Amino acid sequence: MPLVLEIVTPAARVYSDTIDSVVIPTLEGEIGILPGHIPLLTQVDAGELRVMKGGKVEGLVVGAGFAQIAKDKVSVLTESAIEEEKIDENIVEEAMRRAEDALRGKESLEPAEIERLEGIVRFSVAQLGVKRRRR
Amino acid sequence: MPSTRDIRRRIKSVKNTRQITKAMELVAASKMKKAQQAALSGRPYATLMASMLSSLAARVDESQHPFLVERPVKTRGILLVTTDKGLCGPLNANLFKLVTEIKEPAKYYAIGRKGSQFLARTKRDMVASFQVHDRVPFGEVRSIVELMVKNFTEGLIDTIEVIYPRFTNTLIQTPRVRPVLPLRNLKEFIAHLADSTGSSQAPISDDREMLFEPGLRPVLDALMPFYVNRHIFQLVLSAKASEHSARMVAMKTAKDNASNLLDDLTLDYNKARQSAITQEILEIAAAQFATS
Repeated sequence: MPLVLEIVTPAARVYSDTIDSVVIPTLEGEIGILPGHIPLLTQVDAGELRVMKGGKVEGLVVGAGFAQIAKDKVSVLTESAIEEEKIDENIVEEAMRRAEDALRGKESLEPAEIERLEGIVRFSVAQLGVKRRRR
Repeated sequence: MPSTRDIRRRIKSVKNTRQITKAMELVAASKMKKAQQAALSGRPYATLMASMLSSLAARVDESQHPFLVERPVKTRGILLVTTDKGLCGPLNANLFKLVTEIKEPAKYYAIGRKGSQFLARTKRDMVASFQVHDRVPFGEVRSIVELMVKNFTEGLIDTIEVIYPRFTNTLIQTPRVRPVLPLRNLKEFIAHLADSTGSSQAPISDDREMLFEPGLRPVLDALMPFYVNRHIFQLVLSAKASEHSARMVAMKTAKDNASNLLDDLTLDYNKARQSAITQEILEIAAAQFATS
C-alpha cells in the first residue's frame, strides 16, 4: 500500500506525492515511516527529511513544525521547507549571519522575535549540514 | 443655464477627480494581487493545521488544556479587523453593523484606525488598538494575539472572537464573526474550511489509537498557541485582501461615475457654447438690419 506525503508551509504546498517511505526528524530523533504506520502526531525539529521513492532517495530540509500520520497519509506542517538541490549555500550563510547579528543585540528584542530568529538559524544550520555532508 | 466658464471649471475639477481615482484604483489593484496571493496561499496550511488539531482534540479531555475549556461567557473578547484608511466602499460600515448587534458585555481589540475610531466614538470598552502594515508581518499579528491570549488565560475575557471581512473574491467580501477560542465544534469548522477552499482536506478518520510524541501534553502545549497565532494571522491576511479588493472596486466605480459626469458636462458645455454663438450671430444680424 502506498504512502502519501504532503509538506505544507505558510507560503505554499511544497510537496505532495505518493512515496515508499519517509524519514522525519522529530524532537525525539529521526523516525522512519512505512505504510501501515500507527497514527501519530509528533513535533518536527529542523533537519533533514528523506523521501524514499522508487528506490531513489530525495532529500529535503524542513524547519520546526508538526507531523501527522493517519491512514497512510503523512502530513508535515512546517515553517519552511526546501529541496536539497535548491539550497544555495551563499544565501543560507547570508541569512544566518543576518539572524545571528540581530540576535547579538538580544536584550532589546521581544521574545517572539528572538524565537523567530533562532528558528532561522536552526533551519540554516540544518541546510548547511545537509549540503556539506553530500560533498 | 450656467455660463460656459462655470461649466469649464467643473469639467476641470471632475477631470482631476477622475485622474486621482484612476491612480488609486491602479495602486489598489496591484496591492490586491499581492494580498490575495498571500491570503490564498496560506489556506492549505491553515486547513492542515485545523485537521491536526481536530484529531488531537477528539482524543483529549477538555480539561487538559485551558484553550479547550468552555467557561460561562461573562465578557466576550472581540478582535475587530478594519482598515487604516477609508475610501473602500461599505467594507468597514458592514463590520460596524456586526459590532452594533453585540449586546453582551464585551472587550474590544482593534486592528486598523477606522475600527479604533468607531469603538471610541460609540464608547465601547476598547482594550487596545493596533495598526498592521500592508505586507502583514507575522510578528505584528503575533503580539496582538499574545495580548488577547494573556487576557483570556487571566480570565479578563472568556472568548476570543474575530470580526473581519472574509475574502471570497474581488467583488464579494462578507463580514464574519469567527470564534477562535475556546475551541469547539472543530469538526464543523474544518468541514466549513474545506468547503470554502474547495480542497479535499476533509479530516482523515482513523479510529485507531493515536500516538503522541514527545507526549500528549507537550504536543498540546506547542500546537495550541501556534494554532491560535496562525489562525488569526490567516484571518488578518484575508481582511487585507478584502480591503484592497473593496478599495479597487470602489475606486473603479468612482472613476466610472466621473467619466459619465464628464460626458454630460461636455455635452452641456457644447450646448452652451453653441447657443452663445447663435446668440452672437443673431445680434450682429439684427444690428446690421437696423443700420441698413
